Amino acid sequence: MRLLPEALVRAGALTGAVSLPLLLAACLAPLPQPLTGLNQRLEAAGPARAPSLAGDWLALIVSRDGRDRIQLVDLNRRQPVPLPGLERPDAQPLSVAVDARGERLALVRQLEGRTELLLYRRNLMALQPVALQPPGVPRRVALRADGRELAVEVSRQGQWQVDLIAVP
Amino acid sequence: MGWGSSDRQDPALSGNGRVLATVVRRDGRDTVLLQEQPSGSVLPLRHLQRQQPHRSPSLSWNGRYLALLVQQGPERLAVIEDRATGRLHRLRLPGDLVPESLSLAPDGRRIAVSLEGSGRSRVQLFDLTPLLEPDLPAGLPVPGAGSTTP
Repeated sequence: MRLLPEALVRAGALTGAVSLPLLLAACLAPLPQPLTGLNQRLEAAGPARAPSLAGDWLALIVSRDGRDRIQLVDLNRRQPVPLPGLERPDAQPLSVAVDARGERLALVRQLEGRTELLLYRRNLMALQPVALQPPGVPRRVALRADGRELAVEVSRQGQWQVDLIAVP
Repeated sequence: MGWGSSDRQDPALSGNGRVLATVVRRDGRDTVLLQEQPSGSVLPLRHLQRQQPHRSPSLSWNGRYLALLVQQGPERLAVIEDRATGRLHRLRLPGDLVPESLSLAPDGRRIAVSLEGSGRSRVQLFDLTPLLEPDLPAGLPVPGAGSTTP
């Protein structure tokens, strides 16, 4: 249903806290469409969080059998791809990010009492630690779409900071 | 990277790495900050001076689109600011689900949203092509735009 601008103005004046630009945007713009088929597959895979979308790839953390694990979904083929060498049953993933080619994943995980930042290269099936200088505790990570740089939220001496790190 | 001595969280990079979005504490409220890289110059945002706390910013390839979560009264909303046109798009989400985080595809064609509700977390994807023009790397043709070969 589309509302007339006068009605929107009245609605905004009545509610007071409602922003007119947001109302206009909501009512007059075309709506984004849920990707129903993909969403049903994601729903069936189990509880999920922390998505990272780039190109035709979706990385996310999925809970299954009481364990959180990283999953990389090829959106064209609508199915997860294997990530050999990435998972450890005793590791708890906190954050993941993927580049637009689906080749590089940056991740933060807890393992044996440590929280670590890692880079996974799918073509090499190799996981390598990324050092933080000065040392700190990483939490959320983002990766540039071309995979050449990552941004990571790091706790140092009680303060949250953001580090930018070039990826070789 | 410094922004005074305040906390800086929730980083996001544009696809080309020229824009960094973070959430900083400003006047006691979590507020998204957009900066050019590597200069650190602050980029203006038209619609996002209010509706804090801001969460989970995500940028398109050239930084044209900034998607994030904002708070409006009791409701947490997913919105996208188009920095080229100044428009603000609100993402209408299903039912009683509350958005926790989001990720915008670099080309702006899709968005993934993490939603909480009924004791379960889930990730849903939305097609943004009816809403947004693509934001592509320089030199890539827009699909369907036709040939310009003489």
